[in-house]
Amino acid sequence: MDKVKLGIIGMGRMGITHYSIINSYKSVDIVAVADASNLILDVLKKYIPQLGVYKDYKELIDVEKPDAIIVCTPPVSHFEICEYACEKGIHVFCEKPFTVSPVDAQKLSEAFEAKGLINQVGYVNRFNDAFTFTRKLVKENVIGDIIRFRSEMFSCTISKKEEGEGWRNKRENGGGVTYEMASHAIDLVNYLIGTVGSVQGTVMTQVYSKVVEDIVSSTLRCSNDVYGTLYVNWCDKSYRKPSNKLEIFGHKGKILVDQHGIKIFMNEGNDQYGYHIGWNTIYITDIFTPVPFYVRGYEFTRQLYYFVDLILGLREEPICTFKDGANVLQSIHGMFKDNLKN
Amino acid sequence: MEAIDKIVFGDNQFFGINHMSQEKAQALSERFYDISNIYKVYDIAFKNGINAVMLNSNERAKEICGYFKANHSRYSHINWYPSIPYPHKYAHLVAEKGIFPAINEVIFNNNSVFGVLETIAKGGMAVLGKNPIKMMQLLIDAEYRIFKGLNVKVLFLQNIIVDLLLGYGIKEVFYEYCEFVRKKYNVTPGLITQNLPFLKSKLEEWGIKEVVICSSINKIGYLMSPNVDEYVLTIENNNPKDYQIMAMSTLASGAINAQKAYEFINRLNIQSVVFGASQEKNICETINLVNLQI
Repeated sequence: MDKVKLGIIGMGRMGITHYSIINSYKSVDIVAVADASNLILDVLKKYIPQLGVYKDYKELIDVEKPDAIIVCTPPVSHFEICEYACEKGIHVFCEKPFTVSPVDAQKLSEAFEAKGLINQVGYVNRFNDAFTFTRKLVKENVIGDIIRFRSEMFSCTISKKEEGEGWRNKRENGGGVTYEMASHAIDLVNYLIGTVGSVQGTVMTQVYSKVVEDIVSSTLRCSNDVYGTLYVNWCDKSYRKPSNKLEIFGHKGKILVDQHGIKIFMNEGNDQYGYHIGWNTIYITDIFTPVPFYVRGYEFTRQLYYFVDLILGLREEPICTFKDGANVLQSIHGMFKDNLKN
Repeated sequence: MEAIDKIVFGDNQFFGINHMSQEKAQALSERFYDISNIYKVYDIAFKNGINAVMLNSNERAKEICGYFKANHSRYSHINWYPSIPYPHKYAHLVAEKGIFPAINEVIFNNNSVFGVLETIAKGGMAVLGKNPIKMMQLLIDAEYRIFKGLNVKVLFLQNIIVDLLLGYGIKEVFYEYCEFVRKKYNVTPGLITQNLPFLKSKLEEWGIKEVVICSSINKIGYLMSPNVDEYVLTIENNNPKDYQIMAMSTLASGAINAQKAYEFINRLNIQSVVFGASQEKNICETINLVNLQI
């Protein structure tokens, strides 16, 4: 295959961004989009006459026969769309939080693997330079064995009392800080430290929302027996943009990392990296790698190009598979259950 | 096209924006909570010879513009380079309500002009959805309102919007933006981008000229897609009669020292530099270091 025929299902905020990014990749031909809203379809049809526009994703898949699709509809619909795509042998990039059931997520992961189809979930931080570099440092044992960690995420996504029947009033639409944001904070733990096996002491708090939670905290136990805490708040007005922060405490030092840089405190010097005892700062400008086209951040371009490269066989090692998506859902549902006990 | 100011004073430092350090951003946001501290820094910049200001249409811009309009006699020589929209306002609205309701709210809460009332009468968003250009014009009107009455030279569209639209490769949107801004407001259209080589090649292909292009330009290639070499080549081959180039992020958020940063910038065929600083020492240093070829 030298050109990937691509369809995008769901032209909301993420669909619109993904379209722009991946349309810049020469080996991609976006053949069609599907969305429930006529407004966006009309606008696209008007300016991109050759683009197929569909209300129904099944029709898009049946008529256009794309090689791959990007799924960015509300999470409640992800399972059936991915399942249908799998039946038809289509590679899928699916937005997080992937599905709303760990069982469904696991089923999809197995089905795609069995058919040898590329499957990727949109945990975009896995493509951020600061987190990628942190992973390298952790793997290379620069701060020694990990003892504890803290994974936090803050944003001011929700800043007003909920009005009417919006997407926020149901978890299944991606409502709630746990699906929408804690998923990122959990995935980073899975990526950097070890897959979360169990959760305890979960507390969920409402601030502005009527049904779903706005703040969540929990204690996570990773499969390698490392414990850490999670704290995620999506109505913190002191943050202009969503921000993930991790503190990783090891035998030989600790790492503080967010999307923009890394601070490392070393108990002893490291010659390989030139880190001295005490604090060392690594700015994003020291470690970034350029992307061919920039819309929303390096990582957004990188994750989609990576997906296409996997399809084209230009890369072999997947970075964020459906299995990774299923792992996060396992923890999230563990937290929903655990919260009811507390 | 009319030459733009060689040095333009930016605004990130006033609004708690520092791409490198959250602590620094926080400290700045505390200092500039009192808006009179912002005016003091502007006065220092003007005293040292700066005559041009870039200002994003964020929550505080309205008050700042009001101040400069109210003190017009003192600041009548200042040229303004506003940028629209304030992306986070939209990001939050979109997160809360969805894309079209967000646009709806901005347009209908901020405009009371006849055209909008007419549009509502004809069926509101459904009508606007069929006429995206009209929708864009209404959004520009809503954002531009606070800058009316200032001596505006260039109206910039923010990179998040420019680059998003660039990915779609739709000529009409860029063409209509530039025409609208020229005709209705009599100002030069400006586009901010992190993809200068690609944007410029598309504008040329589409025959859209006399535009100011503002882009991150620094020697380490930070926020420059696809890479430094392509930037240097594009800038070298540019005719400033068609496109004037304004460099931003020249220090790459502080990764490069000012001396080295401007050695690189001064060698290039660049018409203007926008920079932000909050200390007189840094403002003066930059003014002294910028020595463009024009």
